[in-house]
Amino acid sequence: MPIVELQHVRKAYDTKIAVADLSFTIEPGSMFGLLGPNGSGKTSSIRMMIGITVPDSGTVELFGQPFNRDLLKRVGYLPEERGLYKKMKVMDQLIFLGQLHGLDAITASKRAHHWCDRLGIIPSIAKKTEELSKGMQQKIQFISTLLHEPDLIIMDEPFSGLDPVNAVLLMDTLVDLRKQGRTILFSTHRMDQVEKICDNICLIHNSHLVLSGSMREIKSRYPVNRVLINFTGDDSFLSHPAIHSAKNYGGHVEIRLNDGADAQSLLADAVRTGARITRFEVMEPTLEEIFIEKVTEGSAGIPAGEKVNA
Amino acid sequence: MHNIWLIAKREYLERIRTKAFLIATILIPLFMGVFVFGSGYLATRTKSSAKIAIVSTDASFATDLKQELQSGKNSSMRVDLLAPDSPSSSDEIRASLDHNLHDNSGDLTGYLVVTPPVPSSGRPLFTYVPRSAGDISTEDTLSTAIQNVLTREGLTHQGMGSADIAALMTPVKIDTSKTGDSRAAFGAAYLLFFLMYMVIMLYGMNTARSIIEEKTSRVFEVMLSTIKPEEMLAGKILGVGAVGITQVGVWMLAAAILGSTSLATSLIGTGHALISFTQIFFFIAYFIFGFLVYSSIAAALGAMTNSEQELQQLNMFLVIPLAFCFLMIFVIVHAPNSTLAQVVSLIPFCSPLLMNFRISLTSVPPWQIGLSFVLMSLTILAILWVASRIYRVGILMYGKKPNLPEILRWLKYS
Repeated sequence: MPIVELQHVRKAYDTKIAVADLSFTIEPGSMFGLLGPNGSGKTSSIRMMIGITVPDSGTVELFGQPFNRDLLKRVGYLPEERGLYKKMKVMDQLIFLGQLHGLDAITASKRAHHWCDRLGIIPSIAKKTEELSKGMQQKIQFISTLLHEPDLIIMDEPFSGLDPVNAVLLMDTLVDLRKQGRTILFSTHRMDQVEKICDNICLIHNSHLVLSGSMREIKSRYPVNRVLINFTGDDSFLSHPAIHSAKNYGGHVEIRLNDGADAQSLLADAVRTGARITRFEVMEPTLEEIFIEKVTEGSAGIPAGEKVNA
Repeated sequence: MHNIWLIAKREYLERIRTKAFLIATILIPLFMGVFVFGSGYLATRTKSSAKIAIVSTDASFATDLKQELQSGKNSSMRVDLLAPDSPSSSDEIRASLDHNLHDNSGDLTGYLVVTPPVPSSGRPLFTYVPRSAGDISTEDTLSTAIQNVLTREGLTHQGMGSADIAALMTPVKIDTSKTGDSRAAFGAAYLLFFLMYMVIMLYGMNTARSIIEEKTSRVFEVMLSTIKPEEMLAGKILGVGAVGITQVGVWMLAAAILGSTSLATSLIGTGHALISFTQIFFFIAYFIFGFLVYSSIAAALGAMTNSEQELQQLNMFLVIPLAFCFLMIFVIVHAPNSTLAQVVSLIPFCSPLLMNFRISLTSVPPWQIGLSFVLMSLTILAILWVASRIYRVGILMYGKKPNLPEILRWLKYS
């Protein structure tokens, strides 16, 4: 039984089509990444999943049932535009939000303390929210979505605005939650962030689904023809016949090989011409490259009539 | 219901803890106390104490007038009598008085010239030259005093004794102790009207602001993922309303304590409670309903707008009905039982102010009071119902105007 199932969901605002014919399912206990550039329809899709808006057509199912508000008790939602009551004290705020999710004050307080301890914000809990830094507020909001121990956690751009230390802390927490059997959906436009932690992804662009499936399966569709080299010294090996194209950032080169070419001979050539190699990595294309490739090849395929927002 | 309670509780506690609430709660009754007692105190002291000069050839009239002005009911003026011997000396006296008036250090407020009547049986002519042309109160005092003196002189001419004259000139007193002081009752009704007007204005806008708060701080998205907009609006209205009731409660208590002090009884007079128990009961009932009616309008305004600035442009929707009530108050004062008064006091937007006002002034049939509450309740529910739709659609449509099928779909959905 999928935790979330969207079928042919469509949503238009006035003349702008936000989501066009979107279908995907999220399996229990998986980490699902909803990816796409800004304005591609990620937030609109998420809002339909939690009943803030209704799709114009198509169906949304949560936990195997058609959407109804009672199911929201099992969902934790972190909106893209964070919002907390500015004048409220942190602990009061967490308890209030916990109560709204159906907890009693004592349980809410206990869990809030536990989470504040875990994320290292105990010293701030007696302060007013407006006195805290943005990153701190973000953590508080993060905690507030988890207090009622939801089965499905939906986070819209959870990493935006966080420093690297806190982004890693948050990512680790999400990975832990997934290990406990929770299902996690998050959206982001930073594709490099999700490569390591997502099981499944769905790529959307201009309101249209571009690509979806398991991370491993998507990557395996593409040939291992990317080479990363860090080097010092002579760069004349870059004219090697196996190279299709290369971007040289001065000591750091990203190379795409010709189809069927062997990276081994490139390495040998580089060593022979006198370059000192500090890194040599052969890999699949990154998600970002796949996305760009998909979008440029697919743009001709999208019917012109639907590109209202262009 | 649980969610409404949570929202209301949060709203109430957060607002009551603010400094603004404390300041308003303490300072406003303080100002009101100072104002009431201050004006009461001043009213007992405002006898005209101006210094004037009377230029008259009629010595007995001048002396009587001086007597009246120095120790009359409303005046304790200082008066100089100047009696010119001839027309030329009269001109001289006037010139020197004019000089005094034009001189900044002069001590005269004005002078009065009494010109004897040409046929000796007629009235004398009175010319008053004041230091400042806007000094109406001295002129009024003078005119009353002259009238009194002339009346007294006339009566003496008719052969009346001075004791009879004094008895005639004593002001009439009307005894209202059995029915209550009607002036005090009117004053109390007026006071309640303004108190309610002020509180509705103040707290109605607070409700609208607190609804915008979720939008500006973007909390609404989290809130709407757990609760319904109507729960949120209802909670807001009740929470802010409870704050208003708390504040008015504190003020009323303060007024009751002030009213029972000896200073108040000495100023206002004894024997009549200023605000009766029935008035307090209806004030509270109509305050609650009035608040709910106006804050549901405010909630709808808050639901429609995204910022305080936009709200300011719409607040006339709150002000216009209140201003209408204010105009109607004059109709009701003169004829509290006229058809017009009965009709306007039943309009749900006016009932809280006008029905309450009428109840203070006259005896209103119970069915009208009952009907006014029924109409207000229906209005509140209707506005709230529409407001919550506007809220949800308004928040999420991002500038798109919702059409009818869309709204119908929302109704089905929530």
